[in-house]
Amino acid sequence: MKTVLAIDTSTAQTSVALIQDGEVLFNKSHNDPLAHGEVLPKLVSQALAVNNKVDLVAVGMGPGPFTGLRVGIAFAQSYALATQIDWVGVCSLDAMAAGINQSEFIVSTDARRKERFWARYKEGVRITDPAVSKASELEKLGLPILTEGDYFPDPVALAKIALTSKSVEQPIYIRKPDAYPLPIGVKFRPMSALDLVSATAIEKQVYGKTAWSADQFKSEFAKSPKSARYLAAEFEGQLIAYAGIFYVADVADIHTLTVVADHRRKGIGRELLKRLIDWARVKKAQAIMLEMRLGNDAARPLYESFGFIEISKRENYYGPGLTAVVMRKELR
Amino acid sequence: MALVLGIETSCDETAVGIVDGRKLLANVISSSVEEHARFGGVVPEVASRAHLEAMQQVIKQALKDASVTLKDIDAIAVTAGPGLIGALLVGVSSASGLALALDKPLYGVNHLSAHIAVDQLDNDKKITPTIALLVSGGHSSILKVKNLATDVEVMGATIDDAAGEAFDKIARIMGLGFPGGPIIDKQSKDGDLNHVNFPRGLTSAADLDKHQYNFSFSGLKTAVARYIEKTPNYKKADVAASFQEAVVDVLLSKSLAACKESGIDNLVIAGGVAANSRLRELAKQRCEMSKIKLSIPPIALCSDNGAMVAALGSLAITQGVKPSQMGIGADSAASIAQVIW
Ligand SMILES: [Zn+2]
Repeated sequence: MKTVLAIDTSTAQTSVALIQDGEVLFNKSHNDPLAHGEVLPKLVSQALAVNNKVDLVAVGMGPGPFTGLRVGIAFAQSYALATQIDWVGVCSLDAMAAGINQSEFIVSTDARRKERFWARYKEGVRITDPAVSKASELEKLGLPILTEGDYFPDPVALAKIALTSKSVEQPIYIRKPDAYPLPIGVKFRPMSALDLVSATAIEKQVYGKTAWSADQFKSEFAKSPKSARYLAAEFEGQLIAYAGIFYVADVADIHTLTVVADHRRKGIGRELLKRLIDWARVKKAQAIMLEMRLGNDAARPLYESFGFIEISKRENYYGPGLTAVVMRKELR
Repeated sequence: MALVLGIETSCDETAVGIVDGRKLLANVISSSVEEHARFGGVVPEVASRAHLEAMQQVIKQALKDASVTLKDIDAIAVTAGPGLIGALLVGVSSASGLALALDKPLYGVNHLSAHIAVDQLDNDKKITPTIALLVSGGHSSILKVKNLATDVEVMGATIDDAAGEAFDKIARIMGLGFPGGPIIDKQSKDGDLNHVNFPRGLTSAADLDKHQYNFSFSGLKTAVARYIEKTPNYKKADVAASFQEAVVDVLLSKSLAACKESGIDNLVIAGGVAANSRLRELAKQRCEMSKIKLSIPPIALCSDNGAMVAALGSLAITQGVKPSQMGIGADSAASIAQVIW
């Protein structure tokens, strides 16, 4: 006789089942995206009241929202350790797909931020690694998309898979943590007049016609050193990014945040922005504002992740047909 | 005596301790602090991932160090709050898994009280009313402790940054690295603590009216930043020592005032900042002068650890406090009034 305790917390649902040689002794789920920690021990104690001799723990390893997902995994691993039995990790999407009778389809769960975790299945077998994508991208694949609500990672199926498949040992996170290490080899320092030649060249490269000229840079620099802060980032002696903020009458204004194309997506802009915000805080600014060109999608998520919110649009700000988006972040 | 296993995951240390009554048997800590150093601060998601990765190994090592098996354990204690929610949940879920599997009681405990409870390990100090100064990267409070397991009251707390956070920020401004506490402590040893007279927050007569036992470190931080801006060739050691003196001075004046007002002549200093050498030195001097009995846990038990959680669990058992219900979850903003869940 083999009894499997199956647990999944990869969606809003917390699910627990107890299966003994194919017979379902207990199977219960509770839907609350913020209560996995409270619900799981309660469901497991109910299951153990039915039968407390467990031989194997099966647990959904995601993908799924991280905090809830870890509740199930941490619990399962410790339970197995304390009772000296094995635990087996299962891809949660597989446990969801098991209940679907179609030849080819996509199983997808909510990944928040308007994105979906998903994997593709053919004749009951997963044919892609779990991934995360925008919902609109997923629809382009032209396959039926089966989502949670109608389906969910079924703990009974999960127990079955655990008995026959190789264990998934690590949580399936897919996304990296929302943290950006300081880029290696990049030096951050105050910007000086010696940087102006390089900065003007970068401006032209990045902004074309709307770039600041050397004179504009100079006049920005001539402002009182107390009310403005310009920072530079260099890599192997070359200027690769710069940023400037100006503070007047309670509100600080970010004038520029520019990274050369080759060094984007390395966390340089993030670090510069963080330092500008710190500076504004020390100056006791009440808020920070910035203007961004409409369609400048590359920078927008960065600003939003720091709490900047769009407050208005200014038509023709960067020239005819070029609209500026004004964003603002409140400092407490 | 009860054998208690304690789990702590409220911030960046994955820690498990085992105590037998008041006797410390094991204290294992796996820290993700090096991973956070690259970010200049603790990143919640990085910490939570590290907790899950380290947890099983840390439990096994603690059992090995204590020469006991899980079957011998009488109760499980775990930090249920306050702390980072995702980090806390890894500990609480692991503890629930252990308690259910072993069919043993579970005690969800308050992280802040646990910092004080650790002072009762490996000694036979009487458990009496005390004033506690709790200072770390996450908290700066003065507590009136009548009974550590049941009756703890906040007299004052920081209204902005925690003391440890102020150390981190100043270290960052001076380009010294992370975490700031130990680095500034070390720098200060070669510095003149009277070099700059930095402000002591909330100590003016007007402030004392409203904030007798509260702290504020943001003004101090601004003052240091301004000083550095104005003084390009400043000496790091002098600024570090002067900054540290301003923090330590305020912490101690207010703690001793709290002792005096409440007629309690015991002071416990706990939390990560209690490892600061200047705080320890000045506390000793001033407590001797004021005839107050000072107690500071050994440095190894000041920062977050599992032994303190086990110690508080053990104390709760001794005092007959009821165990927690299954499904306590975690409370990131738990108040000090909730000692045991
Ligand atoms: Zn702490």
